[in-house]
Amino acid sequence: MAQTATIDAPNKDISLGIKNFLGQLLKSGLAEAVLLPLRQPGSTTVMPGLVTDPDALEQADLLAPVAPLSAARMAARLTRRSTGKPVAAVLRPCEVRAFIELVKFNQAKAEDILLISADCAGVMSNKDYGTFAAAEASPPGERFWKAAGRGDATQVDGFSLASACKVCEQPFSSSADISLGILGADGSVGIPATANTQKGEDALKKLGLDQSPPNKAHQKVLSMLVERRSQAKQALFATMEEKVNSLGALNKYFENCVNCYNCRVACPICYCRECVFLTDAFDHDPPLYLNWAFRNKAIKMPTDTAFFHLTRLAHMSTSCVGCGQCTNACPNDIPVADLFIRVSAATQKAFEYQPGQSLEEKPPLAVFEADEFGEAVGIKSKAAS
Amino acid sequence: MSLTEQKIGRALVVGAGVGGIRAALDLAQSGYRVTLIEKEAHTGGILAKLDRQFPTDRCGMCKMLPTIKRDAVSQHCLRRGLFHENIEIITGASLLALEGTPGNFSARIQENPRWVDADLCTGCGLCEQVCPVEIKNPFNQHMGLCKAIHLPTPHSIPNSYVIDTTACTRCGECEKVCPTGAIRISWQDRERFRVLVVDDELIVRSSLEAWLSKEAGFSADTAGSGEEALELLGTNSYQVMFLDIKMPGMDGMEVLEKAKGISPDTAVVMMTAYATVETAVEAMKIGALDYLVKPFDAESVLPKVNSIYEALQLSTARKLDVGAVVLCGGVSYFDPSTGKDTFCYGASKNVVTSLEFERMLSSCGPFEGKLLRPDNLKPVQKVAFIQCVGSRDIGLNADFCSSACCAFAVKEARLAVEQSNSQVEAAIFYMDMRAYQKPLESYCQDAREQYGVRFVKSRVHSVIADKDNNCILRYPSPQDGSMQEESFDMVVLAVGQRPAKASRELADMLELPVNEFGFIKTLPFSCCETEKPGIFAGGSFTGLKDINESLICAGAAAQGASLALHGAGGSLAPVAKAIRPDPELLRALPSVFIALCTCNNKLGRVEDEKALADKLKYQPCVKKVHAFERLCTSSGFDELVEAVKKSGANRLLVGTCLPHLHESRIIELARTLKVDRACVEVTDIFAPANRDGQQGEPKGLSGSSEVLSILLSGIARLKRVRPHPLPTIPVTQQALIIGGGIAGITAALAIADQGFEVELVEKGQRLGGNLSWIKRTIEGLETAPLLEETLGRLEKHPLITLHTQAGVLATTGSIGSFESRVATNNGEHTIAHGVCILATGADEAPVKGFGYGLAESVMTQKEWESALEKNSQEASNLESIVFIQCAGCRSEERNYCARVCCATTLKQALYIKVQNPSSAVFVLYRDMMAYGQMESYYTQARRMGVIFIPYKKDCPPSVEKKDEGLFVTAFDPILQKDLCISADRVILAAGLAPELPEDLAAGLGIQIDEHGFFKEAQFKWQPVESATSGFFACGAVLGPRNISESIASAKAAASRALALLTKESITGGRISASVRPSLCSLCERCIEACPYGARTLDTENEKILVNPALCQGCGSCVTACPNGASVLEGFLREQMLETIDAAFA
Repeated sequence: MAQTATIDAPNKDISLGIKNFLGQLLKSGLAEAVLLPLRQPGSTTVMPGLVTDPDALEQADLLAPVAPLSAARMAARLTRRSTGKPVAAVLRPCEVRAFIELVKFNQAKAEDILLISADCAGVMSNKDYGTFAAAEASPPGERFWKAAGRGDATQVDGFSLASACKVCEQPFSSSADISLGILGADGSVGIPATANTQKGEDALKKLGLDQSPPNKAHQKVLSMLVERRSQAKQALFATMEEKVNSLGALNKYFENCVNCYNCRVACPICYCRECVFLTDAFDHDPPLYLNWAFRNKAIKMPTDTAFFHLTRLAHMSTSCVGCGQCTNACPNDIPVADLFIRVSAATQKAFEYQPGQSLEEKPPLAVFEADEFGEAVGIKSKAAS
Repeated sequence: MSLTEQKIGRALVVGAGVGGIRAALDLAQSGYRVTLIEKEAHTGGILAKLDRQFPTDRCGMCKMLPTIKRDAVSQHCLRRGLFHENIEIITGASLLALEGTPGNFSARIQENPRWVDADLCTGCGLCEQVCPVEIKNPFNQHMGLCKAIHLPTPHSIPNSYVIDTTACTRCGECEKVCPTGAIRISWQDRERFRVLVVDDELIVRSSLEAWLSKEAGFSADTAGSGEEALELLGTNSYQVMFLDIKMPGMDGMEVLEKAKGISPDTAVVMMTAYATVETAVEAMKIGALDYLVKPFDAESVLPKVNSIYEALQLSTARKLDVGAVVLCGGVSYFDPSTGKDTFCYGASKNVVTSLEFERMLSSCGPFEGKLLRPDNLKPVQKVAFIQCVGSRDIGLNADFCSSACCAFAVKEARLAVEQSNSQVEAAIFYMDMRAYQKPLESYCQDAREQYGVRFVKSRVHSVIADKDNNCILRYPSPQDGSMQEESFDMVVLAVGQRPAKASRELADMLELPVNEFGFIKTLPFSCCETEKPGIFAGGSFTGLKDINESLICAGAAAQGASLALHGAGGSLAPVAKAIRPDPELLRALPSVFIALCTCNNKLGRVEDEKALADKLKYQPCVKKVHAFERLCTSSGFDELVEAVKKSGANRLLVGTCLPHLHESRIIELARTLKVDRACVEVTDIFAPANRDGQQGEPKGLSGSSEVLSILLSGIARLKRVRPHPLPTIPVTQQALIIGGGIAGITAALAIADQGFEVELVEKGQRLGGNLSWIKRTIEGLETAPLLEETLGRLEKHPLITLHTQAGVLATTGSIGSFESRVATNNGEHTIAHGVCILATGADEAPVKGFGYGLAESVMTQKEWESALEKNSQEASNLESIVFIQCAGCRSEERNYCARVCCATTLKQALYIKVQNPSSAVFVLYRDMMAYGQMESYYTQARRMGVIFIPYKKDCPPSVEKKDEGLFVTAFDPILQKDLCISADRVILAAGLAPELPEDLAAGLGIQIDEHGFFKEAQFKWQPVESATSGFFACGAVLGPRNISESIASAKAAASRALALLTKESITGGRISASVRPSLCSLCERCIEACPYGARTLDTENEKILVNPALCQGCGSCVTACPNGASVLEGFLREQMLETIDAAFA
């Protein structure tokens, strides 16, 4: 697979080019609706929206550096049960990965959805984006893309990209049905589109987009960007080590946590209908608090803060896609994602698992191999040869 | 007749090894009462000593525990013990006598004396610390030491101490320290035991008198003549008389006869010189108990008197009415020191038996699982296994194969390699690697390829120890026959099976015939029916079986016993009515009564109540803390019940010692208190409270933080308990059996005979399966009468409906209530059934190569058998016949041994030799799988001149057709050259291939194994059932087996199926899983995690469903569920969190 084609960008306007492409999808019936970032009427606020009329694509804002919430959750809501009607979704690469994980957890279905993903230069936090967008009259998306469209900026107009985006090594999607290589594309030669699946290939064919050779300039921009992000990630990991190397340090890391659980609400991987920390399992018997207080002389209330974050790591770190929504959602500015990205790098390596890459690869916790981690589980593997 | 008037069927199972346990569980699960007696102090038999078994290299005995109605049995490690509401277990007991007829036997059971009262012993171990006598540890096959008072196994529950009374000096130290007064080795009792010594020689009289009175503590009198003895017998009562045979005047024989008249209860032990042993034997015939050969010493006399004392004075006999008897006495093992060639056993410490080696591999063995040379305790680097020690040895009257030792040795070799991290090199010296069990072929390959085990096809000539105690093996090279010498650190002898000691005694007592090797004989085509109706032999009692076959045989015996009970009108035990949870209780706040046993004030006094209550003051649910002096006594029990009732508490936490944690006791307590079983928790506080404090005194109840932790976790569990009615599903008490071969027919009859309807579906026109072409067995039994008899009964049976030329299309439903669509000649039917037994069998496997198809004279065994059927003279004109073994199996395509073909070849070869003695018969083979008693036919064939030539898998014989005729070329390893045999006939042993079409398996929803056979849940422990409950299998669809083995498996499968069919409904277990739909995200991880297939997704209602009959309460679903939507009753998340928290209290 991985067939490449080129989408026309009128007046070098990549945003318009993509909108035209999506309009064709709707008109051709390949999709009856498109889920994509939509500017709210009379506002610079961007939210995921579901469009059925090609004319309404006008409001789409594909370049605004914001992901107010993970659109993967919205795509999952849309597909949880089959409607029999095909839809398309324009998701950021991390959102595509999250969506694929949700499919594996039976929270979404991939059959009726065409996943389209454009390269991502990164996003700002919701708060920063609001100020950034309000600072000047020009459309925030174009302003951002002009400065960061080659992916080499970590801040625009003094507004920094989200910490997770700065260390994201997958600013492109290799698992969406169609990925659009807009990083570094100036629109003069159109937008390189790659079909990663049979479904994507069929769609490109049906829209009459001829095969074209891969865009080498785009690939070069990408590889340089990934290289830089990797270095940034290593630097982040180095500082993380001492910040959380003991239970005491971990408690300090989360000292401002108020157990609001917003991070888990924002997390696209935390798919539980209700978090176990909100169930009666953690509705402790009142004497227990007194016992703890007597035993330790003094305790912090609410309790279970580190327990909550550790539990979440245990549940979702193997599937963490590094989208940074947890940090984005934290009302007390705790860099939650930095820790989660660090830990998930280790757990994913341990299971040799890459979340969001393939529907065939089962999540590690759903697989039992009698022969793995013998040193941890105490079951000896077959005799050494 | 009302239920209470009906006689409840009870079976007696003798021997509580795995066979006895299997038989007892089958009968108990079918609803009968069982008395299970065991001569040892523990259950589990030989398996108590074996930690791991082939093919999993782990234990797994617990897999025998019932999966339905599982609350009837304690769900814990079965090696530790068995508790079932319908099974009464008596250890240290043997069957003394049996009278009556099937359905109405009267058994006399003798219980050995108990020096340590098991009801009182808490296993605290104080006695062991003070005991001054060290003996060789019997549990570790006499390797390492233990005290005269010791635990019989390290793991049993309850584990009460036993005393080796022969070694015990009766110093009384243990009696003094025992906190519960459980030990009694009182001298007073012994003084009342009177012995009379009668001998004309003063020296004998006085030395015996001294030993008996001073050393053993008995009262001894002496008499110098027969007359004097009779006089004393007339005035005093004596329990034992030692009587000299040769005396002047009245001799011993005369005294004996007269004494019987005067004092018939006195046991008489004759004393004789070596020359008159025959007279002593005569004396025993007229009533003497035993004899001693002069000269003797105290060491030989005292154990004898001791055992008479124990038998007469201390053992108690009780009568028991039983309807059927299953003998599961197991086997014993050959002692290599008694053989002609001992392979240096006994002379070198580094030569051990396979059982001894097994103990060495165990972490509770003599070297704690480290593989050390017994002579210098240095790590073992090289170990040799010598097979067939005491088996396949005509010189030892062992013309049989013990069947289990090949697997045993391969397992031990693999474990040795694994446990030493591949530091140990293992080599197995064998004659034929009898890997005939289905999974063993690939198990051996793994041993060779992954574990590097060397398989050397050579009979070891001898073992000698060099000056460094290394074991030097001398053996002919398998390549060229030249004598080799090789040094090993250790040698392990695969000791063969022998009849159990009890086997002979039982056979004599019950007048059961034994075969030439001493094993109990069974009826033709039966593995378990003895000549006496109502008496069955199960497990390995008939000898030469592995675990798989033993358990099948035990199941078959249970089925026989069950039928005997049913036939005699024995009814099933009444099912105790479940106490419906009180709805009030659900609303009431938890109020916990904490009862603590002070173990006779050893662990503190009543004042401790207050101290502990103070520590629990932040637990508002604690109603009362109450200390009792002795909860284990019946008065303690009554006191407890009284106090709990008075307190008004609605939950009870009992802190006591380990042996009193029995499920049966807890159930009794809950019933007496009229509360739900879940509202009573019993926890072990004895061990932590008994631990030494600072002054060396026990910490006591209030001085141990561990006790507090345990109580807190008990409270945490109890206060969240939610008594709820257990879910129940109905059972369609009808069976579907697929396949009308001998296995299917047998299973159908077994079930229908117990009064349940059977639908038998056969795809062909006629019943009988492979019996249509197998006309007689190697033993010479005709199959036609068997088929005629069973078919006759089948056709007349009112409860069996037969569908021929029919097939099952699909099955829906689950255990207890299935529906199957069956296609027949006259359309489709729907059959409702509660269980399904698969008996589709196997057929001769297709052959490729070996000249098959070259000429008509190259044929398979089946074709040859048919040719003989047409013309019985077929063999008489043939001059040269070549049999080629493994022509269809043990190949890449069918990587298993077909097990039956070697016997078939032997049968056919013998037939030809009898018909035409001058013919030349050759057998080209890889390993002759003449397991069990088949070995004797192998010997016979060799004696009659059949020539056996081994070939290797990578160098198979070739068959060519030339103008002159057929020629078979094979390499002869003895001559070291190719042989070219001119053959009139070439007969190929094609083996068996399963008859289990994939679409049938898929339609039924059962799994097939990698070879296409029915996949049993566990080869060893659940040999006739599928992991998907409700499906059973028998006959060759389980794996290749012969007619008797197929019949046995059919009975075993029927027995397992009856455990379910005898119930109108199945109730789920108290600890089982459920789903909270409001929390469930339907991610279905729990469905994948459930090892029992108990969970399904109800797509219509978007819910996860749990089948209560299948759920085993293992909790895998709970661990897979991220947010507690899946819950396990009794192990709720909040209970677990608080329990963990309590551990840090």
